[in-house]
Amino acid sequence: MTQLSFSLIDWSWHLVAVKFVTNTTKECKRTLHERLLRLKFDIEEQEIFTSLTAARNLLVQKAVRPLLLVEDSALEDFAGIETSDPNAVVIGLAPDHFNYQMLNKAFRLILDGAPLIAIHKARFYKRKDGLALGPGPFVTGLEYATDTQAAVVGKPEKTFFLEALRDLNCSPEEAVMIGDDARDDVGGAQNTGMLGILVKTGKYRAGDEGKINPPPHGTCDSFPEAVDHILQHLLEPK
Amino acid sequence: MSADGAAFISCCCIICSNPSAGYILRAVVRDFEGAAVTMADDKWTESVRSVKGVILDMCGVLYDSGEGGGVPIEGSVEAVKRLKASDLQLRFCTNETQATREKFVAKLCRMGFEINVSEVFPPAPAVVSVLKQRNLRPHLLVHDDVVPEFDGVDKSNPNCVVIGDAADNFSYENMNAAFRVLIGLEKPVLFSMGRGRYYKETDGLKLDVGVYMKALEYACDVEAEVVGKPAPMFFQTVLNDMGLQPHEVFMIGDDLVNDVGGAQQCGMKGLQVRTGKYRPSDERHPTVTADGYVDNLAAAVDAILKHRCP
Repeated sequence: MTQLSFSLIDWSWHLVAVKFVTNTTKECKRTLHERLLRLKFDIEEQEIFTSLTAARNLLVQKAVRPLLLVEDSALEDFAGIETSDPNAVVIGLAPDHFNYQMLNKAFRLILDGAPLIAIHKARFYKRKDGLALGPGPFVTGLEYATDTQAAVVGKPEKTFFLEALRDLNCSPEEAVMIGDDARDDVGGAQNTGMLGILVKTGKYRAGDEGKINPPPHGTCDSFPEAVDHILQHLLEPK
Repeated sequence: MSADGAAFISCCCIICSNPSAGYILRAVVRDFEGAAVTMADDKWTESVRSVKGVILDMCGVLYDSGEGGGVPIEGSVEAVKRLKASDLQLRFCTNETQATREKFVAKLCRMGFEINVSEVFPPAPAVVSVLKQRNLRPHLLVHDDVVPEFDGVDKSNPNCVVIGDAADNFSYENMNAAFRVLIGLEKPVLFSMGRGRYYKETDGLKLDVGVYMKALEYACDVEAEVVGKPAPMFFQTVLNDMGLQPHEVFMIGDDLVNDVGGAQQCGMKGLQVRTGKYRPSDERHPTVTADGYVDNLAAAVDAILKHRCP
């Protein structure tokens, strides 16, 4: 933890802008921020960009009323958006809603023309009791049922990364992504023109670096090592 | 529908998707009653005269499923009787996986249909056969009422997953359990009893097994083996039982891709009924064109028997 804080201090000396991005759909930005503060991370709420925010922006842009298949704890990020008489479907990681009745409801709306918005299409995630299905399989199933394609707003979509970089005033080529998911974090970022560093923590599994093409710019044991690598090798000398 | 009752032509200039047919340009003329009859009348007459057998899909052709077990579609009970009274061979091919064959046929008999168990071909017995052949022990994600079909199968320490039309059993927990079996196998094997997208119940359209098959395929990066329509082997089993060649058989169904398209892929003719899960967009499908579109089974049987010698 001390090493991490030290790296962050180094960071600000080098005038590097930082954004914290996540596909989490289980909690709203505010509670996520509070949780990070409790873990002693020194992060501002506006430095966080989530796929829920990306989804909200798309709903506003399309001016639609969504059926929200998201956890109750994430609903706060959709405050102010009309949800009665839905004409769109938003799917996040919401195991409580992935039952037959609810999915049928979503299916019928989409079949009638409602756009399907997927916050992300993760295949699975790591839970305390083992691996568990993410929203991706259910989105894929609904796409098949309705012969339509979902608009995916989270990683690894290009639009997500571009939007995250938007207020940092830098191009993708001037940015580095650090993540534990080879496909969604590193692959997605590199596809946008960024450099990607894969860390061997979290959901990383041996051999993941070989699963994307082009391979990660770098693979590091953990986040502090990735930061060291950036500070030592990727920044222009001041 | 003009005042003088003249027909209008809706044209489809598509090369028929049936590879063995080789005929082109099928224009469909609707008479003012709305029943579709092929324009090339002599071609239709010729195919009908050479047909020796009919395979019927069941849900959406004979009956609509729903509360109380289901409701017969108007004219279907009589249509089946007429087919049985003719010289045509008749079989029933279904992707029904919400009951054992015996219970399912008993339900249809209660609705008034004259059907024997031996004439009905659902996927579960076919899957059981494959599992035994390949020494596979299944984790089942199926409807409670079809579980007895798997009574003779060893289900301990599963090394494959079998999914069927599980309806409310498609809970997140059950899907997760199936996913965990697959992801934990070195060589994941997934059998899907059918791959339909949706079916019609009396209270609306509902998601079918194909949706959950796609979900598990995506989650585990695996390709399912489909047992049931439209797998060619499944149709072939029925044809073998009839002792007929594909070109001698008509398939009648409400699922354009799995019934009609699947049958055409095997060399049969496929008729699409406008009951069950049919939607008008089925008549403008990018890849499957039925050999004929009829309002219902009764109309199909009329069209077939009309041109046959009494």
